[in-house]
Amino acid sequence: MLSSYNYPAFNSLAHVALFDNVTNAKELRSRLISAATMSGPDGELEREAVNFAFVDASLVVSEMHLQTALLFALLADARTSLRTKTVHSEILWALNPTNNISEAIRRFGVSDSTTRLLVVRVCTPPTSTSPENIETALRTGVAGDAVPLSCLSSFTDWSKLTKYYKLPAGVPHERLIQIVESTVGAKSAA
Amino acid sequence: MTTVFKLDDADIISQGAEAKVYHVQLHPSPSPRICIKHRFQKTYRHPTLDAQLSRSRLQAESRVLVRCLRAGVNVPVVRLVDLDGGLLGTEWIDGMSVRRILGGGDEGVLEDDDDDDVAEEDADEHLQKFAVTKDELMRLIGHEIGKLHLADIIHGDLTTSNMMLRTRMADAPAQLVLIDFGLAFNSTLVEDKAVDLYVLERAFASTHPDSEPLYATVLDEYARVLGKAWDPVKRRLDDVRLRGRKRSMVG
Repeated sequence: MLSSYNYPAFNSLAHVALFDNVTNAKELRSRLISAATMSGPDGELEREAVNFAFVDASLVVSEMHLQTALLFALLADARTSLRTKTVHSEILWALNPTNNISEAIRRFGVSDSTTRLLVVRVCTPPTSTSPENIETALRTGVAGDAVPLSCLSSFTDWSKLTKYYKLPAGVPHERLIQIVESTVGAKSAA
Repeated sequence: MTTVFKLDDADIISQGAEAKVYHVQLHPSPSPRICIKHRFQKTYRHPTLDAQLSRSRLQAESRVLVRCLRAGVNVPVVRLVDLDGGLLGTEWIDGMSVRRILGGGDEGVLEDDDDDDVAEEDADEHLQKFAVTKDELMRLIGHEIGKLHLADIIHGDLTTSNMMLRTRMADAPAQLVLIDFGLAFNSTLVEDKAVDLYVLERAFASTHPDSEPLYATVLDEYARVLGKAWDPVKRRLDDVRLRGRKRSMVG
């Protein structure tokens, strides 16, 4: 279920999982919101249970697209120059071409209507959480079918992406993927 | 500033006065390796000025690359911009520079151990490997520059070293990729476009003496892409040829 990317330069390990037919997006979203304000040990537990970047998979065109955003977030974290509160929200912010944080989360994060979900967990250092714990958290947290990451490109919602990334019309997808990936890659110079 | 990535043990590809270029496994394999251009610190400049210059040049270069892609010009995809570390990460273009294809050797490229090329390179052999004729190659060059100038982007350093012919996948058409936009800028001026063409013309004449007439083919395809915008550029190019790249500031 989990794919893992090792980034030794950042002393980090990122775990990624892709879900199709997700039915509890609405609950996930409200859990995320309430976890942020809960206090005490219950709050800690709940925050740990939803300590992921939940990305709308229909807006990620390729594995490289995700990795580019991930690297951006890792680099910002390593330089302690995160623009958002966590490395996970930084991934969402990196994916959105504008600088508006709430817009980034609204567009690229989990929404009530999300059915395809890309879940990312960054572990710094790599041993901070075991993959088994992460899998368990995902199994109990996300109601959906885990599918291989290679399905990602078939999930793409080009009409939404065209709007968000202001993509030119009448251009083959291959080229659009390049534009989308570059927009994320050049985010810190935008 | 701090460099997070350890570039010392990465494969260094080339070194210029401004930057070093590396071939790095940035994302864990099987993700393809990436080309990293590191604008190293210049000890001959004041540190504050140096940081400021590197930063703004890096910023400009990455923006131009994205603009090029949006305009349909073949350039490498941007993977990473690290303004504090002076790093620009782009897609690695698998192929060969036009300079080398035309038998001009490679300038400033550090030899690879597994590279078995000898000093005497055979242009025809290279062309055969990429399954293009010289004429087609010239048209590809004219075509990319035409698209670039139509988008009002000036490359600023057009040479045959800054053009790569991508290794062809099966039946895919030959693809020419422009690289190194370190001196690029936006301009609508006919003058800038003419000078851009003139710089390439001189580069052709000096590195590939026998292929000089081929430059006419480049211009022919360029003219076709530009359409009615070609006439003013043509007239200005004739002026530039007479006076050289720099405009006289007298009078």
